Formats: sequence, structure tokens, C-alpha cells
Amino acid sequence: MITFLTVLLLLPRNAGVLVLRAYRAVISPLYGDVCRYYPSCSAYALGAVQEYGLVVGSVRAALRLGRCHPWAEGGIDDVPLKRKRRYALTPFGFVIAASHGKG
Amino acid sequence: MDLLGTILWPLKWVVEALLVAFHSLFSVLGMDYDAGLTWVLSIVGLVIVVRAALIPIFVRQIKSQRKMLEVAPQLKKIQDKYKGKKDQFSREAMSRETMDLYKRTGTNPLSSCLPLLLQMPIFFALFSVLNDAQRSQAGVGPLNDSLAKSFGNATLFGDAPLHDSFASQWTKMVAGQDFNAVVMWIAAVMVILMTASQFITQLQIVSKNMSPETKASPMFKQQRIMLYLLPLVFAFSGVAFPLGVMFYWLTSNIWTMIQQFLVIRNMPTPGSEAAKAREERLARKGKLIATDGDVIVVDEPKKPQRQQPVAKNRAKKQSGPKK
Repeated sequence: MITFLTVLLLLPRNAGVLVLRAYRAVISPLYGDVCRYYPSCSAYALGAVQEYGLVVGSVRAALRLGRCHPWAEGGIDDVPLKRKRRYALTPFGFVIAASHGKG
Repeated sequence: MDLLGTILWPLKWVVEALLVAFHSLFSVLGMDYDAGLTWVLSIVGLVIVVRAALIPIFVRQIKSQRKMLEVAPQLKKIQDKYKGKKDQFSREAMSRETMDLYKRTGTNPLSSCLPLLLQMPIFFALFSVLNDAQRSQAGVGPLNDSLAKSFGNATLFGDAPLHDSFASQWTKMVAGQDFNAVVMWIAAVMVILMTASQFITQLQIVSKNMSPETKASPMFKQQRIMLYLLPLVFAFSGVAFPLGVMFYWLTSNIWTMIQQFLVIRNMPTPGSEAAKAREERLARKGKLIATDGDVIVVDEPKKPQRQQPVAKNRAKKQSGPKK
């Protein structure tokens, strides 16, 4: 039951992960490296959605895109990680319940 | 008005204003008010204004690329540190350190995501302007009823409306209805031209403007694959988009290609083949300036050894078969 709820809870962000993975595979390579940050904006968006969910993650990604202009210094700008990380990631990037049980 | 419409409203207004301005300019110059060509040229004008507005961003990018020469030794140090390490973690660590170096020295050579972010809505705005014009619907601002009608009814080669797409004609053809082959032909030709221009742009970068370190990375391989997947992407979008939008895209692609050519020729990435070619060109003219300000001139390659003196008879023998 709890696993089912977790899957349901994680559904929106996993849909977001799928969209972002598709974008990064198909559209990103069209214009090459442009981002002034590491990780790039789309990688940041992916990380943010994985860490914070679709809504908060999207807002964070939007803020990051706002920071990525030609007058920005750039540099390293990682997604801030939550203090308590409850989920694990599959190699593809989907978010799943952590297998070890203790979050 | 829905949310997307509200966001696009100012952009649609600007796109319409530019289109109408170019259209009236061309009409005043004596071109046919309702002709497809006049409207296509207006779209080309729109592209030129948009891309020219983005030039300052581009110049900034080039300036920091020049500054990169100063940090080249530090960059080399990082690249040497990760030489031969091709696993994902080393690559990530390397990108991380490189980006940090750019920040510390203020030499970030990348253009940022803003130019792309700006162009996408313009693209969508044009799309929706064309979509409205298709129903001869007035736009949000300068594109009034009569202009919208003119745009909506404008045809190329007397038969291909700008608002039409390959897909719409295909649907008709499959359904056995009357369809417009001219639209399909123009769309197909544009897809080919777009693919060619994008291909050349990418090939220029990949084959000439990359340092050996980048070439060794797994990212490069991915880019290489994309080079051959692109035609599919274009074919797909070329089928779905109206001809007018395609003209915007094609012109923009050609602009990028030429801009890229000029940059690779004049401001290549340090360490790349294009950079070597440029150095040779400059050295031949005696114009190459080293980092310490000295003029570097490439001499004729020196003969490694002194020619041994030989007797006349032997000299004849030697020079015979050698030449």
C-alpha cells in the first residue's frame, strides 16, 4: 500500500524526468554547449525535479534559467540537496523509493 | 486570454510590428502588396532584425573566448590531469573544474541560455501569427484585418499558401481529396536546405573548431551521432510546420552557418585545427603576435645537416636519380 502511494506520489516528477530526458537527448544537442554553468540548465532542471518534485523543481529550474544570461559569471551551480533524502534514482534518472528502507 | 497567450502577447505584437513594417517597406519599394514573395521577404527581414539584435551577446562571447588565451596554461593543466580518463566521473569532474576556472578568471566562453530562450517564444509567436492569419484573423496589434487577409491569402508560385504545411496536404492526399503538390514540394526542398545548413554548421564545429581534448570526450561521440540524426528531426518538423515558419527557421539557420564560419575563421577555439590554420595564415603574413607581444614568423624549415662536400663526379651521380 505504501509503495503504491509512493509510486503515485512520484508519478508527476517521473513524468517530468521523462520529458527532460527526451529534451536532453533530442533538442539539447541541436545547439551544443551554451550554458554558462555546470551543470547545464537542463541538467539542473532534471536534478531539481528529481530532488524537489515537479512543481518546486520547475520553479527552481526557471530561476536558474533566469540566472543564465550573458552577463552572469557562470561557474558551478549545483541543485541544493535536501538534508533528508528519501528517494533513490534509477540509472535512467527515475525517482523511486529507497530500497534500504531507512530514508 | 489563456496564460500562454498572455506571455506571448508582447512578443506577438513585436513580431507583427516587424512583419508589417517590412511588408510596407517592400510595398513602397514597388513589390506586389499581396504577393507571397513580399511576405517571405518580410519574414527574412524579421529574422535579420532578431539575429542582429543578438549580435552584442555574440560579440561578448567572442571577447571572452579571446581572453581564454590567457588562461590556456591553466586549462591545459586541468586537461592534462584528466588525460586518458574517459569514465563519466572524471569527465564530470573535469567539466566542473573547467567551469570553476572560467568563473575565477572571468573568461566564460559560453553564450548562456538566454539567446535560445528568447528565440523560442519568437518562433512560437510567429507560428501563432501565421496560424491566425491562416483564418485571415487580425493579430493582436499592427497586423490589422486587411493585412491579415493579405498574409493569409499570400501564395508562392501562385499556388502555395504560406500558412499551409506538408502534413495538411498529406492528410488531404491520403483522404483522396484535392491536394496541393506545390506546398509539399516547397516544404521538402526547405527541409533539405535546412538539414544541409545545420549539417554544415555542426560539421564546421566538429571538424575544425574543437580542441583535441574535447574530441576525446564521450560528449563528442554523442554530438557526432546527432549530426546524422538531425535530418530526421528536421524532416519531422518540416512536415508539421507552416511554410512561413519554415522560412523563418531556414533563414535563421543560414545566418548561424555564416556567423559560425566567420567566427571559426577569425576567432577559433585555442588548440583546435581552425586555430592552427589561422596561426599559419597569420604567420605567412608575418602578423602573428605571441602572448608576450613578439611577432612570430615561421621560417623555412632548416636543413638538419650540413651538406657534405662531394667530388664533381659523385655530385652528378647523386643529383641524377634523386630528382
